[in-house]
Amino acid sequence: MAARVLQQCVRSFARPSLRLCSSSLALRVTAAPRPLSFAADSRRTRWLVQSRIPSVGVLCRQYGDLPPLTLETIKERVMYVLKLYDKINPEKLQTSSHFMKDLGLDSLDQVEIIMAMEDEFGFEIPDAEAEKLMTPEEIVQYIADKKDVYE
Amino acid sequence: MASTAATRTAAGAAKVVKPIFSRDLDEAKRRVRELYRAWYREVPNTVAMFQLDITTRQGRDKVREIFDKNKHVTDPRVIDMLVIKGKMELQETIHVWKQKTHIMRYFYESEEPRPTDFLSKFYRGHDQ
Repeated sequence: MAARVLQQCVRSFARPSLRLCSSSLALRVTAAPRPLSFAADSRRTRWLVQSRIPSVGVLCRQYGDLPPLTLETIKERVMYVLKLYDKINPEKLQTSSHFMKDLGLDSLDQVEIIMAMEDEFGFEIPDAEAEKLMTPEEIVQYIADKKDVYE
Repeated sequence: MASTAATRTAAGAAKVVKPIFSRDLDEAKRRVRELYRAWYREVPNTVAMFQLDITTRQGRDKVREIFDKNKHVTDPRVIDMLVIKGKMELQETIHVWKQKTHIMRYFYESEEPRPTDFLSKFYRGHDQ
């Protein structure tokens, strides 16, 4: 009998928006409808174990983070940023096209491209290593090295 | 006299002078790239701080133009000196020791371009 009441409480309160932390328990208890509130105080500790969010497993912490990087996503982002650059012709751009020899860019243009990559991926690329990155393929390799992306 | 003749003959091969900052051309070019990065990142802050009437893109093009003016230099000491002057300008711009007029002087807005070919000089006259 008490277990059935508990099941009803769990089903009515187990919505995906609720978090499994103790701070929200007070809210949950206060938001409980009147007839079911008598079960809240005695069953509080059991709720933590039994209530589950349908989409995620039991007691799963949900931190905010970016989606994980893969080699394909890095390559797509690098090529997208390069296509947006106005001194590069998007049709002639490939992963193996050299900036200076194939695309006819300057060393300062290459610096601008590396800075755009820094802004895109959010980490500093020191100049000693940046001056060696002359093709989009090398840029992808370098970022994969720095971000520990491997396959 | 003999010593100066010897140094002159040796100077034909390679002259060794005391460097300012960088020992060879690669290091000097690295300094130039660092300076260009700093200026590139500073331009939007400058346009906002001084309330300039130019777009960020025009500012960056102007920076590129000034850097390209000295593209032909090969002496590391000269490059170092130019980098030092560029750094001084950058410091004055970042700390707002300059004013709007000093920055807009780069754009030569109020100056008329001087005549270069014969006919334009003829029309302008001999007064200036």
